[in-house]
Amino acid sequence: MNRLAGFTGLPAQIFKICFIAIVDAILIAMFFASTHKHATSLAIVIALVALGANFVYFAKFTLPFKFLFPGLVLLVVFVVVPILYTISMSAFNYKTGNEISKGQAITQLLQTGLAPDSANTTYDMVLGKKDGDWAALLTEQVSHQVYLGTLKGTTKLEKGSYTLNSLAIAGATAGFTPLTADQTAASDSAIGALKFPLGNGQFIAPQSADVAVLLTQSLVYDSKTDTLTNTALNRTYKDNGDGNFANVKDKTEKLLPGWRAFNNFRNYTHLFSDPTVRGPFIGVFVWTVSFAFLTVIMMFGVGFLLAIALDKKIAFRRFYRSILILPYAIPSFMSILIWNGLFNRQFGAINGLFHTHIDWFNSPWLAKGIILLVNLWLGFPYFYLISTGALQAIPAELEEAASIDGASPRKILRLIKLPLMLQILSPLLISSFAFNFNNFNLIYLLTAGGPTDVLHGKTAGATDILITYTYKTAFGSSEQNLGLACAISMIMFFIVGSLSLWSLRRSKVLDGF
Amino acid sequence: MKAKNLWKHIYIWILIVFTLFPIYVVIESSFNPTGSLASSSLIPKQFSWVNYKALFNNPAVPYGAWIRNSVLIASANALISVFIGAASAFAFSRMRFKGRKAGLQTLLLIQVFPSFLALAAIYVMMERVYTVFPAIGLGSLGGLLLIYLGGSMGVNAWLLKGYIDTIPMELDEAARIDGASTVQVYWLIFFPLAAPVLAVTALLSFIGTFNEFVLASLFLQDVNKRTVAVGLQQFVGAQFGQNWGPFAAGSLIATVPLVIVFLSLQRFIIGGLTQGATKG
Repeated sequence: MNRLAGFTGLPAQIFKICFIAIVDAILIAMFFASTHKHATSLAIVIALVALGANFVYFAKFTLPFKFLFPGLVLLVVFVVVPILYTISMSAFNYKTGNEISKGQAITQLLQTGLAPDSANTTYDMVLGKKDGDWAALLTEQVSHQVYLGTLKGTTKLEKGSYTLNSLAIAGATAGFTPLTADQTAASDSAIGALKFPLGNGQFIAPQSADVAVLLTQSLVYDSKTDTLTNTALNRTYKDNGDGNFANVKDKTEKLLPGWRAFNNFRNYTHLFSDPTVRGPFIGVFVWTVSFAFLTVIMMFGVGFLLAIALDKKIAFRRFYRSILILPYAIPSFMSILIWNGLFNRQFGAINGLFHTHIDWFNSPWLAKGIILLVNLWLGFPYFYLISTGALQAIPAELEEAASIDGASPRKILRLIKLPLMLQILSPLLISSFAFNFNNFNLIYLLTAGGPTDVLHGKTAGATDILITYTYKTAFGSSEQNLGLACAISMIMFFIVGSLSLWSLRRSKVLDGF
Repeated sequence: MKAKNLWKHIYIWILIVFTLFPIYVVIESSFNPTGSLASSSLIPKQFSWVNYKALFNNPAVPYGAWIRNSVLIASANALISVFIGAASAFAFSRMRFKGRKAGLQTLLLIQVFPSFLALAAIYVMMERVYTVFPAIGLGSLGGLLLIYLGGSMGVNAWLLKGYIDTIPMELDEAARIDGASTVQVYWLIFFPLAAPVLAVTALLSFIGTFNEFVLASLFLQDVNKRTVAVGLQQFVGAQFGQNWGPFAAGSLIATVPLVIVFLSLQRFIIGGLTQGATKG
């Protein structure tokens, strides 16, 4: 036991305490950084991790959790939380134009609800401080009338109560300290938010470090009734329950931006009731299922036949085998990009070889065929390998017994080997189906979901599967609808999850612990 | 050759041609100085290293940085996730505690959900993390690594538990009788015994991360921070005809080491593959 001695006692204890102290120090620093930036949920997660770590590693009765804790933290924070967050996002109207919170939306609306007066009154401005607060000396550019603006109000200054600076604008007055150039540069963002009220909903606001304009607030928010009123047009806008302020008299007139609002899981009902959403969704869904089904059958068929063909009696078996498993050894993203190049219309080797000019990726059917062909190339070696494994697992006595009974090799294959193989391999076939159901790389790198009939306003391409369609919905170039994307994700979770669960139940893995 | 087996030979050779065709074209184009696919014919006429040189002398295509990023993030993910996953798997395999069965079942369910299904949520989350901690937020390799680690935790813990169950318990018990604590059993008995299995799991994890595209392309916008997968895709997608030669060279450089490792370890990797089948 001498070898073990070094790991126990005081040194180990000191090492453990130092290690946890370092982890704590990092987590505490991160906690304060988060609270400082008002990232509350982040701060809570960090605090929970820190508390959990200290509890698990200092309490006496938590031995298994000392081993489980790091993995558990990673799994919960980066897998479980995103899944829960996906569920919550799927219940919101969260898309381009509805991305911020309601408070931020109101602030932005009020900022855009500003109008310059008809004369476009502009002031030359000298920024400074008065009584420790922001102030400005404002010289109107046309009338040369001078004002002193403070956050409380703006007062007219009579001639003689101020002095002009080198630019012939008011530069100094009693109690006013102008900012230095450095101070001005340092408080860029604060200056942008300054407003010097004039009364009657009018105020003077800086446009840059030395120019200000007269603005009128045309949009007014009433927090009691939760309405916005446009005083100039005399229109009232009310929260429409879907993340926008809409005109009370004309519901289609909405103010932009809106906010991400809880819409009662309407993203899901849209998928089945709104024809603009349902059409592409159902098309994509049908292709996803048929693609995953067809491709697994093709790969299994070719791989299984190869396992039969490449049996022990064939010469150069090892050599053939090394070549034929190459597609499985090459990183798949690389193979897909290479195949994409081979089918390129102008430069591709396939058109070059046959002296054709076929635009392979522009026809929905050809593109679908290419996807199946390329996935066959990528996947048959795996199915060859697992079929070989399964064939070896079938007891030789079965074959002998059948041949003594007079069965031909073909009959043995069809009636004994194939059914047994399907039984042995069914968990792998199901997991392969689930994998291809979500085979993002294949579709995205080969056809990018195309061809897409943009002329007819189609949002989904002919070869889009659910996962690439989700990606387009969430991060597309024209509109990004994160709420809808999350709803589709949840449906995929459900399909893939129940399929896997069913397969696990069948193979009785869940009972085996 | 028996006539009965003729179909087998024909079938095998059709598949060999099918398998080798893209590989051959890529090797040929990588040494073809004209660089574009248009002139590539099946019989090589010229030979040059110009495509390989172009790959390392183009500041707009920091191929070296891509390779470094990929290797860095894939090895970090492989090492850390196997290290942490082994601890979890050890606890599940060797200890009996409340919630063990429920924990295993939950783990199994979680690991069938590919983490990129939650990509919209991950994107929004990491966007917020970025505002506080740019080093582990959106756009950083650190943040991407954290997401990968979370995603590989379930799979690795599950895979490793299967292997650990096959290591006989008697060894642990003998050490315990000699007075070793659980932590000592873990480090001194279990870890060395499981080392080969951990290495294979780490290798599979490495290949998986190296191949990952969707999260990486969402995360890494900066051209210098891209992985090989994202970098090459953007590079070749921009100008297919023009960039095909350097792309072919780049794909070979990234692929050949992996293929060699894979072929030399195929016994172990494939052993793991079929295990699931024959046990099921």
